[in-house]
Amino acid sequence: MSAVPPMVVAPAAAPTAQAPRATASPRRRWPLGALLAVAVLIVLGAFLPALLKSPFYLGMLINAAILGIAAVALGFLAHQCGLVMFGVAGFSGGGAYLFAIAVMQFRWNVLGAAAFALLAASVLSALVGALIVRARPLPFAMLTLALAQMLNSVVKITQYRDVTGGDDGLPLNFAGSFFGLTQAQLARPESFWPVAWLALCGVMLLAWIIGRSRTGQVLRAIRANEERMRFSGFDTYWPRVFAFTVTGFIASVAGVLTALHSAFASPELLDFVTGGNALVAMLVGGAGTVAGPVLGAVLYVIGQDQFGASGHLELLTGIGVVVVIVAFPEGAMGFIRNTFRKWFKTP
Amino acid sequence: MDFSQLLSLPQLANALALASLLTILSSGLALIFGLRDVMNFGHGALYMLGAYLAYSVSGALGFWAALVIVPLLLAVVGVVFEYGVLRPLRKRSHMDLALVTVGIALIVGQIVIKFWGTAPLSVSAPESLAGSVSLFGQPYPAYRVFLIFVGFSTCAALAVWLKWTRSGMHVRAVSSQPEVARMMGVNTDRLGLLVVCLGTGFAGLAGVLAGPYLSVDPGMGATILITCLIVVVVGGLGSIGGAIAAAVVYGFIQVIGTVLSPTLAVLAPYLLLFFVLLWRPQGFGRGRVA
Repeated sequence: MSAVPPMVVAPAAAPTAQAPRATASPRRRWPLGALLAVAVLIVLGAFLPALLKSPFYLGMLINAAILGIAAVALGFLAHQCGLVMFGVAGFSGGGAYLFAIAVMQFRWNVLGAAAFALLAASVLSALVGALIVRARPLPFAMLTLALAQMLNSVVKITQYRDVTGGDDGLPLNFAGSFFGLTQAQLARPESFWPVAWLALCGVMLLAWIIGRSRTGQVLRAIRANEERMRFSGFDTYWPRVFAFTVTGFIASVAGVLTALHSAFASPELLDFVTGGNALVAMLVGGAGTVAGPVLGAVLYVIGQDQFGASGHLELLTGIGVVVVIVAFPEGAMGFIRNTFRKWFKTP
Repeated sequence: MDFSQLLSLPQLANALALASLLTILSSGLALIFGLRDVMNFGHGALYMLGAYLAYSVSGALGFWAALVIVPLLLAVVGVVFEYGVLRPLRKRSHMDLALVTVGIALIVGQIVIKFWGTAPLSVSAPESLAGSVSLFGQPYPAYRVFLIFVGFSTCAALAVWLKWTRSGMHVRAVSSQPEVARMMGVNTDRLGLLVVCLGTGFAGLAGVLAGPYLSVDPGMGATILITCLIVVVVGGLGSIGGAIAAAVVYGFIQVIGTVLSPTLAVLAPYLLLFFVLLWRPQGFGRGRVA
């Protein structure tokens, strides 16, 4: 049992495979020891800055964590519902703007504003989800893309400049403290890292638990054959709305973290390209596990560091996307897992 | 707000100029979707490639040469696209193919930046079209009149081909009922190759035409792609006539909306897309549901 990598959800087909395999498998019980080890790992991870002194690498890890959160959101939706969201920026950036508006317009303290942003983003994504989860994958992808583009255009409209800051974005001045962290501390990588890390662990855990729950099984069964599930007496609509809401919530966590760390909400957060990064990270890492998108995010941030300056990042991203879709539809994590299984002949 | 200013001739002509560019692009996109079931997210990048090629070719041989050569070059790109991507991946889902074309768009975009750099370039209209013409007494740029003419004659030619030729009939048949058409002995592979070449060639043509009308910069593809997707979806996926109608409607909303209410002009296309996808997934035309 200890040979199984942590955070692995039930074995799954590629989210976008044409003929989905049956994915329901008996839930494995996790031994208490493994759960304890994960808990210890989470707590120890928060103290990473004591070990890693370089603010540069910590900053990179924070970027990876935030991108990873957005990618977990995408991976969750792709894996549980078989839907790919092109416009995740609409939810992450939307969360950031909601937070910014609560801070600057309502003059709420940071913690209240963050809670408001997450709650409002979840309610909004529930409403959007109620409208669009019935669409088929391709129209769904375009609807979410259009939503993100629309929000991007709205915040840039000059009439709302007082509220959204227009093209220039919105610099934030926090009132109060975020779990004891002031604005200056939130901007520093070593004091912000625990926030990003715990948020990442939290959303991974959330996605993992929902994936393993009965709702998760129902969702994957709906993904495999919606009509049959309906005939079997299952409600196929509300579980998907729920999954979409969870996705929107997780994505908005990424947005709120960005705004907390940078104290700035820019229209760029709502840009297709920002959502594209998370999409690439999710695809490269693979949606089949909760850890896959995070691995993809880490790889993406490393690539950004290595090739960003030379301008080859986008080229590599493009090639990466094509190669992954063509050759490794289950992403890096799926590839690792399959190789692992082949070598060790674990069922 | 004065309505005579709204519906003045130059405004209408501006709407038509934008619409004709969109029509050329969207009909290419709709053709490829109809035949190959691929939502080509790389269409914007091909259009951009066409615009940059047109910049170089018209610099060396003149605008008119570019107008002929660039669409042919892009048609060759279409052959590569068909044999390199669409045929090997034909068994994959819509979504997989769409994602692959997103990747291709990134690659093409970087290739363009590699060769031409990131600075915006300008292509000047040929001398014979550089001035302005009198449009019912008002001066209007001659190049836009030319753009409208080319746009709508391309559509007319496309419509004639689809309506009154044998291969056009086959294209319509495959677009609406791929399985049945194949059973009736239509060679969908050959037709697919033709249509993909035509579609990418159209992207090239739109790129050439866009040069003197809009600016040539690395962001041009992504900007117009979303517009084209909206136009194609609103028009009905795979429906050429619907795409043309939607492009004209879009052009008018943009041009008149910018005068009347900028907020509305920004939001209208997206709201239109939402409305169509949610309540009438087949679009204006008799499109297929994706």
